[in-house]
Amino acid sequence: MTSTTAILREIAARLLSSGAVEMVIGFRQGTIPMMNEPCFVRKPDEVGHLVWDSHCGINLANYLTDRKEKIGIVAKGCDSRNVVTHILENKIRREQLVVIGVPCRGMADKRKIAMKCPGEILRVSETATAITAEGEGFSRTFEKADVLQHNCSLCIHRNPVIYDELAGDLVEEQQGVDRYADVRAVEEMTPERRWKYFEDLLAPCIRCYACRNACPLCYCPTCFVDESRPQWVGKGQDPIDVRTFHFLRAYHCAGRCTDCGACERACPVGINMRLFTKKLEKDCRELFDWEAGLSLEARPALDQYRPNDPNDFIR
Amino acid sequence: MSDWEPKIVAFLCNWCSYGAADLAGVGRMEYPPHIRVIRIPCTGRMSPKFFLAALREGADGVWVSG
Amino acid sequence: MGIEPGRLHFSWISSAESTKFVTVATQVTEAVRALGPNTRFIQPPLAEVA
Repeated sequence: MTSTTAILREIAARLLSSGAVEMVIGFRQGTIPMMNEPCFVRKPDEVGHLVWDSHCGINLANYLTDRKEKIGIVAKGCDSRNVVTHILENKIRREQLVVIGVPCRGMADKRKIAMKCPGEILRVSETATAITAEGEGFSRTFEKADVLQHNCSLCIHRNPVIYDELAGDLVEEQQGVDRYADVRAVEEMTPERRWKYFEDLLAPCIRCYACRNACPLCYCPTCFVDESRPQWVGKGQDPIDVRTFHFLRAYHCAGRCTDCGACERACPVGINMRLFTKKLEKDCRELFDWEAGLSLEARPALDQYRPNDPNDFIR
Repeated sequence: MSDWEPKIVAFLCNWCSYGAADLAGVGRMEYPPHIRVIRIPCTGRMSPKFFLAALREGADGVWVSG
Repeated sequence: MGIEPGRLHFSWISSAESTKFVTVATQVTEAVRALGPNTRFIQPPLAEVA
């Protein structure tokens, strides 16, 4: 049990027994290793379920949409930015929330670990810098830095941006990270080359919508993929439909995505759809000097008119 | 394809470009016949969906004008 | 997206600027003509259900 887990349980028990919140949203151990699942604790004597380790990649802000009760939410850097986005978009009120910030050192990529192990992983343990996976007849130890999720290795907001409680000391932010190397590579392609590249990228997609469901931004009552009048996009696996889905999904996240990696993590076939959202994130930063979810005061880039907004593309 | 002519979908704002198109018609000005106009209440109604939908239905180009 | 940038145009024309409308309409048509027919993103029409 890491000390963060102990502090989290202590905070959750205090908040629940004092009546400050009716529910704490956190993580508990999943039924298989490296798959921690969201956990909703309503009674102080249930806080023992809560855990914190390198497998808490799910974005818990997803569970706040339109809730009415007072909630304590465990939030790492990206979660807290999505909490801010939720508040700005009036999906929850700040007064309802007690944000339990957890300074984050990055989440492990279960696929990277599984690929490097010869069999099924049955137990996983970790120290501050290393993760050990054990299974039938093998035991492998990895440097945590080598098996981080890609978005975590590029993360520049590891500390929560808003918090009422803090479980652990703030961590040092990564400096000098080149966040957009992959996006630049795609930008440099010719349209033909890019068309082919996306064709290959999206070919395995089975349209399960796991990326949409895992995303804290996707809370429309009726998603455009489910609309039938008009029907914007076919429901099959036609490559054009798949592409339409991915492009429009990405555009819905423009100026809102925090690159938490929930979509990529949820994808059963390992598509890097973060490439699309990151392109929009990069544009927002370059054109509007905007990063999503950093402040409760600033209005999002696409939400606000400024006389100096770039308009060179308009004739 | 020698007899190919472009098919262009134009999304025009009711209050601006649609008015300009109307005025161009009233003034009997000549412009290329490849444009299919869709009037939208305001350019704010424009959505990336419309662009993709136009291409999917076979448009060669899309023109958005406020 | 793999779509040629010249297939999407934006402009701002007031309702009094009919000459600008004609100019831009011509420019847009010429730009798209230069690119040739769109081959991407077109969906084959659904088969008629008998």
